[in-house]
Amino acid sequence: MRRLTRSPALRVSGRRLLTAIPVLWGVTALSFLVMNALPGDAASAILGLDATKAEIRAFSVKLHLNEPIWTRYWHWFAGVVTGNLGTSLSSPQSVASVLGARLPVTLELVIYAMIITLVVSIPVSILCARWPRGVIDRLSLVLSMGSISIAAPSLALLAVIVFAVKWAIFPAIGYVGLSQSLAGNLHTMTLPSIVLAVPLIGFYIRFLRADLLEQMQAEDYIVTARAKGVTEWRILIRHALRNSFIGLLTIVGLNLATLIGVTVIVESVFSLPGVGFELLDAISNRNIPVIEGIVLVFGIAVVLANLVTDLLYGALDPRIRHVRSRS
Amino acid sequence: MAATADAAAPDLQLRPSPLLEVSDLRVTFGTRLGSVHAVQGVNLTIEPRRTLALIGESGSGKTVSAQAIMGILPRTARVSGSIKFKGDEIVGRGERELRDYRGRCVAMVFQNPERSLNPTMRVGTQIAEAVGCHLPVSKQEAHDRAVELLRMVRLPAPERRFYEYPHQLSGGMRQRVVIAIALACDPAVLIADEATTALDVTTQAQIMELLLDLQQETGSALLMISHDLGLAASYAEEVIVMYAGKIVEQAPTKELFAGVRMPYTQALLDAIPRIEMEPHVLLPVVGGRPPDLAVIPPGCSFAPRCPRVQQDCQDTCPPLQQHEPGRWWACWHPLGKEPAQ
Repeated sequence: MRRLTRSPALRVSGRRLLTAIPVLWGVTALSFLVMNALPGDAASAILGLDATKAEIRAFSVKLHLNEPIWTRYWHWFAGVVTGNLGTSLSSPQSVASVLGARLPVTLELVIYAMIITLVVSIPVSILCARWPRGVIDRLSLVLSMGSISIAAPSLALLAVIVFAVKWAIFPAIGYVGLSQSLAGNLHTMTLPSIVLAVPLIGFYIRFLRADLLEQMQAEDYIVTARAKGVTEWRILIRHALRNSFIGLLTIVGLNLATLIGVTVIVESVFSLPGVGFELLDAISNRNIPVIEGIVLVFGIAVVLANLVTDLLYGALDPRIRHVRSRS
Repeated sequence: MAATADAAAPDLQLRPSPLLEVSDLRVTFGTRLGSVHAVQGVNLTIEPRRTLALIGESGSGKTVSAQAIMGILPRTARVSGSIKFKGDEIVGRGERELRDYRGRCVAMVFQNPERSLNPTMRVGTQIAEAVGCHLPVSKQEAHDRAVELLRMVRLPAPERRFYEYPHQLSGGMRQRVVIAIALACDPAVLIADEATTALDVTTQAQIMELLLDLQQETGSALLMISHDLGLAASYAEEVIVMYAGKIVEQAPTKELFAGVRMPYTQALLDAIPRIEMEPHVLLPVVGGRPPDLAVIPPGCSFAPRCPRVQQDCQDTCPPLQQHEPGRWWACWHPLGKEPAQ
């Protein structure tokens, strides 16, 4: 046990995960309240307009929907603590199996989008910082402002019209699982991931370019490197970029969390069977157990994204690494 | 002003051929509010094994002069005049040629050891990089040379220090690393730009001693840039005092302190605290501010702050001239030279 607590990474993780508990409790309680405040209920949503009052009452009693909100939340909460997320109201499936089927799609989408974002924005911002106010810099300013300004739903529709309908490079809708075929999977996932990535790419280029230029113009260690006779390219890539990555990591961590929100839109446009798609369905059905399960999973994802960011800080910045191992 | 060209006339004394010859160096920065004339016609010569001090307050153009000599001025700077290293012109060279020159011919130690090292890179790697920039060495050879340099700058346990990061070292140790980087390729001229200003007094003395020792070992010339006339008095052989972008007095250290001529140098000297002074007495400071370098007045630029100012100081700028062998000053009414009346 003592050896465990001496590992700084484990100590940071432990502290993070402990603080996550009240956060997760807060978001699930809040979403329970909000769902309850919405007009309509699961019974009438699932049984349809033709259902009789007696049918609705029977359905409500069967699923405990007639009990007060805090009793229901307590039932759900007690279930979660014992590892049971409950059962979907609209189907006999357990919430855990619904999430298990849907989560990989969303995760893949977010990770794929982040990879595209970094692969495009890092080289472009290096080129911009190498020749500030040059052709590449000016062009990328215009394009990135455009990419930041465009709204995700309109971008998604535009992408479908251009790349799926007009040129038919990618399918407009549909999903092939990663386990079925890698090529087929990439074929269906690339366009949605690009749609997710485009606004981020513009934002990352603006951020990284500004941070690199700041390093190149204001930092004394860059002057030292120049005085050594190091080439400008090497200064940019070996000296400035490494330091700019520390700032970039902060945004990547924040964006991993916000990206999960955007997937709701993208998944519904491209009909991808992800968590976001399921969430929309569950909200219209007032399917509270599924909603709560998704909120919980999103919350855990945000906490984990922050944790990974925190651990990566130590990997990038030796100062943080050493402070941690000393404390 | 017409006499500045004469002032550049070569010294007639027999001396070894200079490493670095700077003549009529002018540096101007274009800003939105007009041109700032940071350096206005500086001449200086650096000979092998000599220690020269360039003294002046903030904004006097000493650091800009050093940056011009290193070829690391920002692109917004306009440089004219001539900087010759062993007879080769540096001004107007392209980036590739300058890169070859920096670090190998002239190297620089910077003011702030807190910030002049890359925080995310091991100190040894930063030294090895300087070695690899100019010499065709393998990774292992660069490593060995870096360890040797760390030993040269008297850092204990150099093998272990190689793998440490800057934040693990004290200010003095970091400055030793910066010196090791500067010495990596055996430069002929070492410029120390306020190299000890950010350090405490004990460390300051250690670093200065180290610089002088290394100068003896490597046979390089040392140009120390400082605002501290006392520091120059202790370590330099010759002192150049700059004010508002110009050299106002130049003399061998001993002679300078035997009798200062330029009132500005005297004002700097008076501002140094002395042990025999009464406690709690305000130090005499140089009143006023250095002039705005965007506007050049016709007269002496020190005139508005000078206690000995007279009408001719306001009208015409005194040229820097050699008045006694090895002693130059730019003043119409120098101290200790009052005409007998």
